[in-house]
Amino acid sequence: MKHEEYKELLEVAALDALDAAEGIALEAHLAECATCPAEADAWREVAAALALPMTPVKPSAAVRERLLEAVRTQSPPVHAVAAPDAQTNGEGVAAQTSNVVSLDSRRERRGVIISKPLLTFGSIAASVAIAALAVTLALLWSQNKALKTQLAQMSDSLRQTEQEIGSLRADRELLAAPDARAVALAGTKDATKAQARLTFDQRTGRAILVAANLPPAPAGKAYQLWFIAGGKPLPGGLFRPDATGHAELHDTVPTAGRNANTFAVTLEPQGGVPAPTGSMYLLSAAS
Amino acid sequence: MSEEPQTSDTELLHAIARGDELALAALYDRYSSILLGLILRILHNRPEAEDVLQEMFLQVWRRAADFDEARGRGFTWLVTLARSRAIDRLRAVASRERAATAAMHESHGDVSDASDDVLRSEQAEIVRRALDGIPEEQRRALVLAYYEGLTQSEIAERLKQPLGTVKTRMRSGMIKLRELLGEQMRSVRIGS
Repeated sequence: MKHEEYKELLEVAALDALDAAEGIALEAHLAECATCPAEADAWREVAAALALPMTPVKPSAAVRERLLEAVRTQSPPVHAVAAPDAQTNGEGVAAQTSNVVSLDSRRERRGVIISKPLLTFGSIAASVAIAALAVTLALLWSQNKALKTQLAQMSDSLRQTEQEIGSLRADRELLAAPDARAVALAGTKDATKAQARLTFDQRTGRAILVAANLPPAPAGKAYQLWFIAGGKPLPGGLFRPDATGHAELHDTVPTAGRNANTFAVTLEPQGGVPAPTGSMYLLSAAS
Repeated sequence: MSEEPQTSDTELLHAIARGDELALAALYDRYSSILLGLILRILHNRPEAEDVLQEMFLQVWRRAADFDEARGRGFTWLVTLARSRAIDRLRAVASRERAATAAMHESHGDVSDASDDVLRSEQAEIVRRALDGIPEEQRRALVLAYYEGLTQSEIAERLKQPLGTVKTRMRSGMIKLRELLGEQMRSVRIGS
């Protein structure tokens, strides 16, 4: 339909006499038309005049009582009753209302008298609900906290595992690499049963020393690996064997030590030293 | 119409929207009789009419904030609520009494000049005269719609007239009513 056609429905719409389909269509038009809503309102004003010639009929007093009773027991449309406004209006109204005093006092007491049992019940119910909510929240919070801790632990352990796997993979690659150098070390007179094998990648310097049957390192002491190139020993990593004399050292050979021909292990102070000072326990076969 | 030296309908409705029970009581005292007259004219049943009146004022209490004085008078808002409630009720109780009584009440002949409010009865008289000035067949259609709650299709059926004819009569009737009300208002203003 066009705007003009909708416009022609407005007079009948003011009488609420449109058939359902037309009424719905007009509602839709009113929602988007700039001029029709005001015109519809104007026609309502005309239609309302038709209420005037009716014989006024005074309702029975009971209707008024029931109405005001219902109003008192229902929550008001706006909860924040503006006291100053209510007073101003109350004065204007007072002149026309016969039972102003009783109404007024009832109104003022409404919050106390009518609502008190409700309020009490309501506040108990509300307290219970709030307490339950608080408990639930606390539970959820602690659960959440525990889960977070657990998650943090698990991700730590996952990271650790990943690192271990990474390092094992690197070890495996190193040990399996065709160009890796493998050097056997034999025990000296101080540890005749000891033996070790050093594998290292000359390009990256990555090295693994696996030793067996080493005497336990005394307190404050540790074994130190040496790379001897051109007669000069370069310091390597420190390690302590386990109770069975087994040890594993992951180390990186310094650039200068990658061409070393001789490798040795000495017993040194726990912190390590720049040049060997202690007895030698392992030594590579001269090449 | 808002020249009355009392709190205006708009002020009362705003006060009701703020939860002022006194204002509701005042608005009730001001309009309950005329609204009951209208509701009773539609329902033809006093207990039901009083019930609708009470429901309607409860609706006023709850929905006063919806009233927008920019869109029309407070009285128009009340009448619209009253009529729509009454017609809803009428449709709910179906046609039991309606078939029997409606046809008898098509005319506006049951209006009376009994009113304790001189100004309002003056206004009622203006509307009465305006209605008298509307051609009979147009007035009948308006009366059936306004006081019987019939839709234009129902009116067409009742009057055994084509729907198009009824639509035209209703529109023309409303346009004439507006025109006559305007004239009457002017003449009253000049006269008073």
